[in-house]
Amino acid sequence: MKKQLITASLLLSAATSFGGGYQLNLQGVRQMAMGGTGTAWPWDASTIFYNPGGVARLKGIQMYGSMAFIMPSTAYGNRENSGVTSSNERTASQTFTPFNFYIGGRIAEDSRFGLGLGIYTPFGAGMKWDDNWLGKYIVQSVDLQTVFFQPTVSYRASEWLSVGAGFVFAAGSVDFRQAMPIHGNLGADIDDGQAHLHGNATGVGFNIGAQMKVHDDLQFGLTYRSQVNMDVEGGSAKFTVPTSLKDSFPSTKFDARMPLPGVVSAGVGWRPLEHLTLQLDLNYTGWNSYDSLRFDFAQTTTSLHNVRAPRHYRNTLTTRVGLSYRISSVVSIMGGAAYDPTPVTNGFVSPDLPDADRVVLTCGLTVKPVRGLTIMAAFEGSNGVKRNGSYDFGGFSGVYKSTAAVPAIGLYYNF
Amino acid sequence: MKKIYAIGAVAFMFAACRPNANVTTPATSGNANFTNYLAVGCSFTAGYGDNSLTVSGQLNSYPQRLFEQFETIKDGKGAVGPFIQPLVTGDNGYPEPKLVLSTVTHCDGKISMAPVKTTLPLDSNGSWRFVNPVNNNQVNNVSVPKLRVADIPVQGYAGPNAYARRYFYDPTKRPLDEIYARVYNVHPTFFTLWLGITDVLGYAVSGGQGNGSRLAVPVTLNIYNSNDITPDAVFAANYDSVLTALTSTGAFGALLSIPDITALPYFTTRPMNGLHITSKGFADTLMALYPDVNNKIFDTGDNYYIIRDNVGGIRQAVPGELLLITVPQDSITCAGWGSTKPIPREYVLTTDELQNIRNAVTSFNGYIQKEARDRNLPYVDMRQFFETLSTGITYNGINYSTEFVSGGAFSLDAIHLNARGNALVANKIIEAINAFFKSNIPMTDVNKYPGVKFP
Repeated sequence: MKKQLITASLLLSAATSFGGGYQLNLQGVRQMAMGGTGTAWPWDASTIFYNPGGVARLKGIQMYGSMAFIMPSTAYGNRENSGVTSSNERTASQTFTPFNFYIGGRIAEDSRFGLGLGIYTPFGAGMKWDDNWLGKYIVQSVDLQTVFFQPTVSYRASEWLSVGAGFVFAAGSVDFRQAMPIHGNLGADIDDGQAHLHGNATGVGFNIGAQMKVHDDLQFGLTYRSQVNMDVEGGSAKFTVPTSLKDSFPSTKFDARMPLPGVVSAGVGWRPLEHLTLQLDLNYTGWNSYDSLRFDFAQTTTSLHNVRAPRHYRNTLTTRVGLSYRISSVVSIMGGAAYDPTPVTNGFVSPDLPDADRVVLTCGLTVKPVRGLTIMAAFEGSNGVKRNGSYDFGGFSGVYKSTAAVPAIGLYYNF
Repeated sequence: MKKIYAIGAVAFMFAACRPNANVTTPATSGNANFTNYLAVGCSFTAGYGDNSLTVSGQLNSYPQRLFEQFETIKDGKGAVGPFIQPLVTGDNGYPEPKLVLSTVTHCDGKISMAPVKTTLPLDSNGSWRFVNPVNNNQVNNVSVPKLRVADIPVQGYAGPNAYARRYFYDPTKRPLDEIYARVYNVHPTFFTLWLGITDVLGYAVSGGQGNGSRLAVPVTLNIYNSNDITPDAVFAANYDSVLTALTSTGAFGALLSIPDITALPYFTTRPMNGLHITSKGFADTLMALYPDVNNKIFDTGDNYYIIRDNVGGIRQAVPGELLLITVPQDSITCAGWGSTKPIPREYVLTTDELQNIRNAVTSFNGYIQKEARDRNLPYVDMRQFFETLSTGITYNGINYSTEFVSGGAFSLDAIHLNARGNALVANKIIEAINAFFKSNIPMTDVNKYPGVKFP
């Protein structure tokens, strides 16, 4: 019968990726335990991240290390999957371990200058759905990791004002897998083709801050962490497709850009009682720089096109409160809470990061077992609002519910 | 340090409490009753695809999908099985081998993928006669490839139609009698009816080699030529007789309209301006070759083919005219079809032929819509659905369209839908049913069903 050519313009349906609230806010254990506040008060060397202006106020040189264990879980429900009651698909259990390392302090006992180096992981995301889940043609798994290196200088201009600035070099990686609606000849139990993108990324930015000590018991902070554009150059794109389509989907390289948004933070710390400190922070995050996700392939074909997935994130204002209470000269306890609205707008709720407004509750404690050494532990529970969201670009919708449990430990030593 | 353990314990408890996103809206039947479902139609309803009938095609038909969704209703008026289709037994095609994608070498040495008949053995004997021992020969999907509304009152219709002959209750009688017999047997409380496509399709796939005026006369008695478009009055009367049969037990049902056939990939895949000229010299040669053809343009780049039109004249095709997918590619590439020789008229739909088709679709849909109104039944606008499909429907990460093969919704015969296309149709029907009967029937998961297989 028919012997005509097929111009099979199979599209990489809606390749999409990491988005949403992939900002972590876990850069200090004590700050994390206090709801993520820390812009106003230079508690320890993690102020290199929270407010570089605080480094010149540290007592001596401090070495700081900590690690968090993020255990996120997202559930997805959709009536279409099984009829009367929905499926309740969940992401696979995974534990992510962002870490922080800081060293810094005043260069001499009476110096106005402070120096520091921070190595930390401010952004990251990971999600692993079942390979055969309902949204497999949008995402099967995504993993985004970043590490920031930030050398920092700080200057105490007066008794009440100190400022600081750090240069940020960022390195990271991205890994993305998505099923392709192409069938046949792929193996006994493999039904779909697959796209697998993997690349390393680098970027630069800065972190500046001012710390104001109006009074021993009343301090203010103001910081700006710049946007960092993570550029993937020459990442590898691999496609698992039937033999007859190998030429249409060649293994190739890709370029991409992930904007990590800039954040303006303002904070206040107040010590109403000798043992009690209260903090309030506001973070304004410039998510709207994340307008669309782009993948440009080195080699395109009639079937393989560059990807443009709209994101249209909106800026968010996060409110954080925390307290620290010193029980004794050895032990302090902390608690806090945050309301973290999502940057993801309706119509753009993609299953690669189906973000929703989150309520975060935190607690923690610090112990000073011996002179100079402080051990910290914290726990954060993050509860996303159940969200009925759609991703119009991919024609995908459903109900999402995300939670995360994040224990963290750390210690620092003052020399 | 005990407090650190305490934090660890809290963390563990939090982690153990995993989120859930259950959506529990029960399926309801609304004002309808889906207990016994009967589907009536042509090849589009039979699960026909890849130019043949296969058991997997039948099991992926939209009536099968609808039954499964009706079955999720547990308010006492949901579908009760079994839902029995007159299944063939094999997957290689009945009675013709089905089409599969394969690489073919063309006359110019180029290699590409194209549908070819499978070489796997057929099982025509096993598929020959369908007899179901359940409930006195119960059949819930009375669909016959090639069945037209025009054929409904034709005595002995099943004799020459192998698809009907293999399961009709009494092949010597009319298709209408078959419908009555099944209605009597199944006692439908709900039905779907999708007839009328084939009343226009025969004319279209023949390249308009029939009477498209809707004033055709029967060849003998009440039998119409398969290339003619059914006359309006015949369509209206026969369609009404089918509905009278289907509603004779008091059943409600949904009436599906006829899509714009000219938008099917069978007619849109091959570009009419596919004559690619690279040298000015060849363009001049062609200009000189057709001194009697008016308004011809040949230049370097893409040109419209030379065709033979429906009255036998030679001319250059004009924008909007369509080339059938069946036109032999090698004849165009190597034998000068469309350039030094006109493309034969059976491969071409000219402007007036296209108008005949579209007028017929509009007219028949008018009758279907009137029946829906008069009998207070939902009218499922399939014309609009196919229009939407031609611009693209994005569903759970896949862009479905009417593009051949890559559009993901059509089978390899470029006319009939594949399993996923059938599921999309089922969802369209469910949407219309839910709106009309205030029912709440969940949609089916389209991507769960097989798409086109590549070698």
